[in-house]
Amino acid sequence: MALNGLKANLFRRYLTWLTRPVRIKKHLSSTLPVKKDPAPVDRRRIRAAALQLEFRLFKNPLDYAEEMCRQTAKAAAEGAQLAVFPEYNNLQLLGMLPGIEKVEEGSEEDVSLPDLFRYLSPVVEPLVHTLFANLASAYGLYIMAGSYTLSDREELVNRAFLYNPSGELAVTQDKVNLLPMEEEWNIKRGRSFSVCATPLGNLGFPVCMDATYYETFRTLELSGADIVLLPIANLEAYNFWLALRGIWPRVQESPVYGIKGALVGTVAGFSFTGKAGIFAPLELTAGRDGVLAEAQSHDQEAMAVADLDLEALHDLRADHPWRDINLPLYRRYFPEIYGSPGG
Amino acid sequence: MRAAAFSLAGINLNTLTEYRADLTRLIESSRPELAVLPAYSALALGLGTGAFVPGPDFPATFYIFSADIQGWNDIFLELHGGLAREQRIYLAAGSTIELDKGRYYHTAYCFDPAGELCCRQRQTHLTRAERDYDFDRGEELFLFDLEGADGNIYKTGLVVGNDARHPEVGRIMACRGADLLLHSGALKAGPNCWRQAAGMWSQVQQNQFFAVEAQFCGNIAGEEFGAGSALIAPCEITPESSGYLARGYPETPVISARFAQGDRRQIKQKYPILDLLNREAYAGLLHLYSDREKGEE
Repeated sequence: MALNGLKANLFRRYLTWLTRPVRIKKHLSSTLPVKKDPAPVDRRRIRAAALQLEFRLFKNPLDYAEEMCRQTAKAAAEGAQLAVFPEYNNLQLLGMLPGIEKVEEGSEEDVSLPDLFRYLSPVVEPLVHTLFANLASAYGLYIMAGSYTLSDREELVNRAFLYNPSGELAVTQDKVNLLPMEEEWNIKRGRSFSVCATPLGNLGFPVCMDATYYETFRTLELSGADIVLLPIANLEAYNFWLALRGIWPRVQESPVYGIKGALVGTVAGFSFTGKAGIFAPLELTAGRDGVLAEAQSHDQEAMAVADLDLEALHDLRADHPWRDINLPLYRRYFPEIYGSPGG
Repeated sequence: MRAAAFSLAGINLNTLTEYRADLTRLIESSRPELAVLPAYSALALGLGTGAFVPGPDFPATFYIFSADIQGWNDIFLELHGGLAREQRIYLAAGSTIELDKGRYYHTAYCFDPAGELCCRQRQTHLTRAERDYDFDRGEELFLFDLEGADGNIYKTGLVVGNDARHPEVGRIMACRGADLLLHSGALKAGPNCWRQAAGMWSQVQQNQFFAVEAQFCGNIAGEEFGAGSALIAPCEITPESSGYLARGYPETPVISARFAQGDRRQIKQKYPILDLLNREAYAGLLHLYSDREKGEE
């Protein structure tokens, strides 16, 4: 299917009609519980859920909405006050495109994945907002809805969204460090990291590859973040050590809690693997292993749930046994590495 | 390039002669081009030979050791320079306390195959306990050229003690071209594997250099030290993608492995982590540290 012809435009209008907010809301109204007030916050016990979603293509956006609803309900049933979805949570919506399986398998059509993201962006973005705003409000949760490849004017971004229990979009975060594949797609890099103050603590939410670099969590922690939410979608065979690189060492370097939502499963020969999990500094975990909860499977749907103690985190930071700052050292070398702000 | 990490377990520290003989025997059995000793090597040897009398506990012993360090350091450095020359190897001698203009530093030294000092590195990030000992922080990071028998020059740096847990150290060295870091460490005995993974292993994975991690095994003034030494490389070029080329138990006297510079360069070319780093996004990092330090004052 070419994406710039009359048929394509008409089809997108059809998809826009299919995903119009009133239709999504109406559909959800039969599924969602009566709106819940957020649970009272005990800073010694913030319950968080890391969701592991199994990739599948949804032809009908209402089925996608139901699936996100089911996942949120699962987290809420465990008493979660905060739920974290995976990176590329829009990929499953490619199923709305007729013949997408052929594109994936390498048809003769000259359509690239970035073209498809651009084409679907005006449909996906409002759908995501309607869907997750309603889910957050109905279940009384903070929801980091995962990340989505969307158009931002002429460019593409890999953008994550955080919704609060009032059903508002609290803040967005663009992926700052890109994979080579994403560079090839000309995705625009994010320029900074957001921290959102909430009753559950200050939340940051970089995206996947951002956790390759210590600087991300250091920046967030120094900016006041207590909990870092990380959506991932790893296109590689699962290996314990490869999967360990990322959020786990970052949480050890910069004392914060880390929650990883993962996209897993195989579609058209592409395998996503990973284990959703909740991580903490070694000093705050019973096994001194930095893991509070982790999915058992690396390729099937799962959820990890754990309680976070913000007071214990702050106590650790206030009297930390080994952390140190060496400003003269950083002043000597950082300008050469990172440049100077504004220049 | 063949490298080895020594824990000093099983080495006789009673006399300089016995120490030298035991170390020579281990070096000759593992035949490295580069040997790395753990942190506190000077302290352990000083106490073992009776050059210093231990205090009632570790901190007191540290004070005693620091107070009269200069003469002992001369002996310690001369011994290891001589050993490097005799064995024709690079020898990272572990660490000692350095006294300079009335200030104390925790410092590591490395000698080249001619027995000349090729690098001196002061620890740049202190633990709370080390700050209580009134140590000062080093404010520079050094790299030197280590010439491998494979014809490669390895830009090499030393990582002292607690610096292994501070990723700023590895990043600065990597951005200045480091191929290899030599870490002299000493961790209190206990379940240390995750602590170590959060240290040099993580620094290797996010910078794609090699590292030798030599961890001290022994007892100093009633304090038991013990962690496994390791030779670390990017996961992609190690067995089972573990990131480890060799790994010992705390009491393993020596471990060794070969670093393949060509393999590492291939990985860096295929997936250039540092080139992919969006450096401009972190231009404000220095201000954030500065604000944090002001907030703590």
